[in-house]
Amino acid sequence: MSSEKKKEKAPKPKYNMWQNAGFMIKLAWKEKEKKVLAIVLISALLAVASSLINLYISPMILSTVERKAPVSEMIITIILFVTAMMLCQALTAYINSNNLFGRVTVRMMVVKRINNKAMTTSYSNINDEKFIKLLGKSFDTTNSNDKATEAIWGTLESFVTNCLGFLLYLMLLSSVNIFMVAVILITTIIGYYINKKINTYEYVHRDEVADYEKKMQYIRDVVSDYNASKDIRIFGLKAWLEELYAKSMKLYMAFHKRVQCVYIITNIIDIVLAFVRNGIAYIYLINLVLENGLTAAEFLLYFSAVGGFSSWVTGILGNLSTLHKQGLDLSNVRECLEYPEAFKFESGEAITPDNTKKYELKLENVSFRYPESDKDILKSITLTLHPGEKLAVVGLNGAGKTTLVKLMCGYLDPTEGRVLLDGKDIRDYNRRDYYRMFSAVFQEFSLLAGSIAMNVAQTDDNIDMERVKACIADAGLGEKVKSLEKEYETLLNREIYDDAIMLSGGETQRLMLARALYKDAPFIMLDEPTAALDPIAESDMYKKYNDMTKGKSSVYISHRLASTRFCDRIILLEGAGIVEEGTHEDLLKLNGRYAELFGIQSKYYKEGSIENE
Amino acid sequence: MNNEKKLLSWKEAYKLNIRAFLLIYKRYPKMIISRVILAIVIALTPYVGIYFSARIIGELAGARDITRIKELVLATLISAAIISLVRWIIQRWRNTECAGMYYKIEMILNEKLLDMDYIDIDDTKMHDLLSIIRQNSNSGGWGLYRIIGSLDGIIDAFFTILGGIVLTVSLFTTKVPESAGKYTILNNPIFILLVAVVMIIIINISPILTNKAGSYYAYNSDSHNLANRLFGFFGFLGHKKELAADIRMYEQDLICNKYIDMRSGMFLSAGFMAKLAKGPIGLYNAAASAVSVIFTGFVYVFVCLKAWAGAFDIGMVTQYVSSITKVAQGVTSIVWRIGDARNNASFLKQVFEFLDIPNTMYQGSLTVEKRCDRDYEIEFRDVSFKYPRSESYALKDVSMKFKIGERLAVVGPNGSGKTTFIKLLCRLYDPTEGEILLNGIDIRKYNYLDYMSIFSVVFQDYKLFAFKLGENVGAKVDYDKEIAKECLIKAGFGDRLAEMENGTETYLYKGYNKDGVDISGGEAQKIALARTLYKDAPFIVLDEPTAALDPVAEAEVYSKFDEIAGDKTAVYISHRLSSCRFCDTIAVFDNGRVVQKGTHEELVAKENGKYHELWFAQAKYYA
Repeated sequence: MSSEKKKEKAPKPKYNMWQNAGFMIKLAWKEKEKKVLAIVLISALLAVASSLINLYISPMILSTVERKAPVSEMIITIILFVTAMMLCQALTAYINSNNLFGRVTVRMMVVKRINNKAMTTSYSNINDEKFIKLLGKSFDTTNSNDKATEAIWGTLESFVTNCLGFLLYLMLLSSVNIFMVAVILITTIIGYYINKKINTYEYVHRDEVADYEKKMQYIRDVVSDYNASKDIRIFGLKAWLEELYAKSMKLYMAFHKRVQCVYIITNIIDIVLAFVRNGIAYIYLINLVLENGLTAAEFLLYFSAVGGFSSWVTGILGNLSTLHKQGLDLSNVRECLEYPEAFKFESGEAITPDNTKKYELKLENVSFRYPESDKDILKSITLTLHPGEKLAVVGLNGAGKTTLVKLMCGYLDPTEGRVLLDGKDIRDYNRRDYYRMFSAVFQEFSLLAGSIAMNVAQTDDNIDMERVKACIADAGLGEKVKSLEKEYETLLNREIYDDAIMLSGGETQRLMLARALYKDAPFIMLDEPTAALDPIAESDMYKKYNDMTKGKSSVYISHRLASTRFCDRIILLEGAGIVEEGTHEDLLKLNGRYAELFGIQSKYYKEGSIENE
Repeated sequence: MNNEKKLLSWKEAYKLNIRAFLLIYKRYPKMIISRVILAIVIALTPYVGIYFSARIIGELAGARDITRIKELVLATLISAAIISLVRWIIQRWRNTECAGMYYKIEMILNEKLLDMDYIDIDDTKMHDLLSIIRQNSNSGGWGLYRIIGSLDGIIDAFFTILGGIVLTVSLFTTKVPESAGKYTILNNPIFILLVAVVMIIIINISPILTNKAGSYYAYNSDSHNLANRLFGFFGFLGHKKELAADIRMYEQDLICNKYIDMRSGMFLSAGFMAKLAKGPIGLYNAAASAVSVIFTGFVYVFVCLKAWAGAFDIGMVTQYVSSITKVAQGVTSIVWRIGDARNNASFLKQVFEFLDIPNTMYQGSLTVEKRCDRDYEIEFRDVSFKYPRSESYALKDVSMKFKIGERLAVVGPNGSGKTTFIKLLCRLYDPTEGEILLNGIDIRKYNYLDYMSIFSVVFQDYKLFAFKLGENVGAKVDYDKEIAKECLIKAGFGDRLAEMENGTETYLYKGYNKDGVDISGGEAQKIALARTLYKDAPFIVLDEPTAALDPVAEAEVYSKFDEIAGDKTAVYISHRLSSCRFCDTIAVFDNGRVVQKGTHEELVAKENGKYHELWFAQAKYYA
């Protein structure tokens, strides 16, 4: 446990809290949300002014009564103070109603930067645990109003207020007695540090509590997952889920009971210190009244000031500690944004896809190993995708088919060897440009919350509707789309739009194909594009494949061997390498592994051959 | 939803709030009681301080009796310490009782989801309702959760007013001495009444203004949620790690930035609320604050005049001013809370609309006999089915009898009703027309859980949970380890199981326990299969179990199918028609009807049939 704690403490944050506060201030400035900064300052001034008025209002008015001053003086005093207070309070209320929006916007601009980093960073970072961890932390720092990227404004506002208040009250009380000031300062600071020490209990045990929370949250998510409800009913899982939930809840409650029992100690210490502080203040001030002729009104003023001064001090100490914590969170965000890039982007050579040109893509002695794995998933692969060639990649699950395609597309850089586009190492290109050379349908696709047309064109303006229609028709989704009331403008994603529809798995796959066709890049890569299709749709897709890929080089991944017969060349991956390659006929003739796998799969399609099983 | 519809009548709002309160109170009485007690303590205790400090000031301004002052100071300090201690003890108790409140309240919604008829779970209208409830709860704190805050606020305000009134009664009853001349008007009951009325009027203006400002938030909360949802989607798309390749290939950062840069989310600087805040919301709030200060001023004038005229000492001035100010705060707070509770009522209405979704499935009481011979005969008789709010039939006139121990293959194009058929069979839905019989009796007459117990299903989108492997197989916490292990081995998971250090106690995935292991799609499928084996039900249904498998794994499932199915009645749905070869009967679905039924040989021979078409669409590639 203790060694763990040390380990966590070890990495020093890259930036200190002032640098991080500066980062946010600069960001607000740059994003033209300067009002955020203005509001912090104005609010702090108003808060101090308010506090001063509050401090003086009662004693000043009382003094007119005490002195038996003329009624008119008393009334004027009241009116003066009340007017000043009204102004202060009204302005504060108005500003408080308005401070949220700029702050949220600045936080969203942080969200935007993080999102951009995540979407464009070198693909290798996506598999880098350190980056993913930073990304997760950054997400946690931006996902609500009380997180550092927004809450820091509140902290700064409070910090400025407390500092100004501290100085003013210090001047006021020093004029009375410097010794009393020292007593207040010391008791307050002691109280603060003891509290802080004890209050770390929750922080020290945060992993424990986070674990219970995670568990309860997980069960909540499972129950809210509509797709899981079939299994929950058929297998009667309700009791199971409720039991696990109850178990975590019980531990969670027990934890909080412990926490509260510890925290009561801090309250007792506070009570004792307040007793001492107030006792000394009373004795001293009452003495002044009795000995030095201080008026009752002045007594009230100074006594209130003692309480106020103590809370300014506590406030400053609290702000510094909050600012430190928020600084750590912000430092994470900045480290995430500044995470080093393995790929070349702007610094790389530009490249523009040219559909009139035929490209040759070559893997030269390529090996690849995932970080933290102890064996190569692909080893010494040499493979040329000739201009205009239709290549099929087959193999069992886990043979490295998808990895091969990711190497070709430039998502992964080989551990050894090179990937060459027309003889030039792809690592030299601007990677963003390089991706424009490819259209792909991967197994995991990112469906946008928007219309069908937007999902095909990947933009929501300047959509070439004729092309969208043609691509959707080519992908075999034309009839379906025409049957919808809003046709190409039909919205997808029911979680966002109330009037959205949901496409089935097979339909979505075809939509993704239409998107790939719309992009019209020189290379087309399809990873298992027929897994969710029924036999007729699947067969239809095979027939159209040649048309769809006309004039392009293509790679087609499948574990359904039949689907590869229309390709010019098939390669079979196994044991990290290419074990067989050729046309379907070649490979059957070879009577090797491919023929064996084909036999397994086709067995059931041949008449009368299953009896001998 | 338009604005007019949202403000409910006082009566309805009251009923909804009380209902919500009771709902929470009945579940978590200690939580509520601790909060109420704390609220009372917090409301009343400041008056002790006010009382004593007024006495001290009075003494200092007046007689200045040293022993009296000493007593008062000591009393002040000690009472403050004791009160503080009591308050914190109660506070700590309250915090303990209220730990995990978010989860506790969420649980109310979750339990409903667990108990709801499946047909409602599958209803997009229910999804929309629940997502609106959750959004309102997350973005504005509206709904059940708010009841707790309202309760605290109202109790606190009520006792603050009560305590304040006790300490201020004497303000109105103490008389200015006759020597004060014209100031004796302050003793006139009509004048006092007038002062009280003016105070009450001013007190009420402020919260009305605040509620007016607050209502802008309440009324616009879901009509402007779209912008927020869009932001929630586009602003965080990059965090979906599994989509990273696709996102880069289609440069989706561009469209994301476009949506983010609009800054038009409800709470962003170019958004709708920001405009309202610069205008009416800000102004109403400012006016509300100003009015409450006017009240303080008015109180000062009245109290000081009386003191000046000699009715009481200046110590009492501080007591009266502090107490009345607190009463005013109490009134402001209570009026605001009540208005807020009324605003919240329309959100509670949605919550109850959700919680009141009735269980309409008829549930009979017949028990399903546990038969060793597995002699369960199920028959579909002219069954048709329409999804709620759908015009067309998903299933039409299906009649079918399951022979005991038979293997039935269900095939057909996408959307032909195969999965719907299975859902009706397991009674996730009830037929719109026709009936399903178990041993000759309508299945609705059986006890629901009993009926379900005769089915084991691996759905296409089956779910495993991030709990222990064995729990996933046994579907409970105290599963039988030996049986679970046996089933896993039978399902082909034996090799991987042998590698697992903790065996069936190993956690799956990392969502629940960070030491969990990741499993591949093929492995997950095997675990799902093991789960159906563990249940050992007389009917076993497999929906597309090989879609994600490679030829070798697929062949493995095929060859094991007989062993897995044993003497059970088995239904096998697949796009891979090869699977039909080891089934006794094949039912071909098309457009919600069973268009063909028979053995593979019979059906493949009918050249005009759907089966022939489907078969050859696939088989030709393997010839």
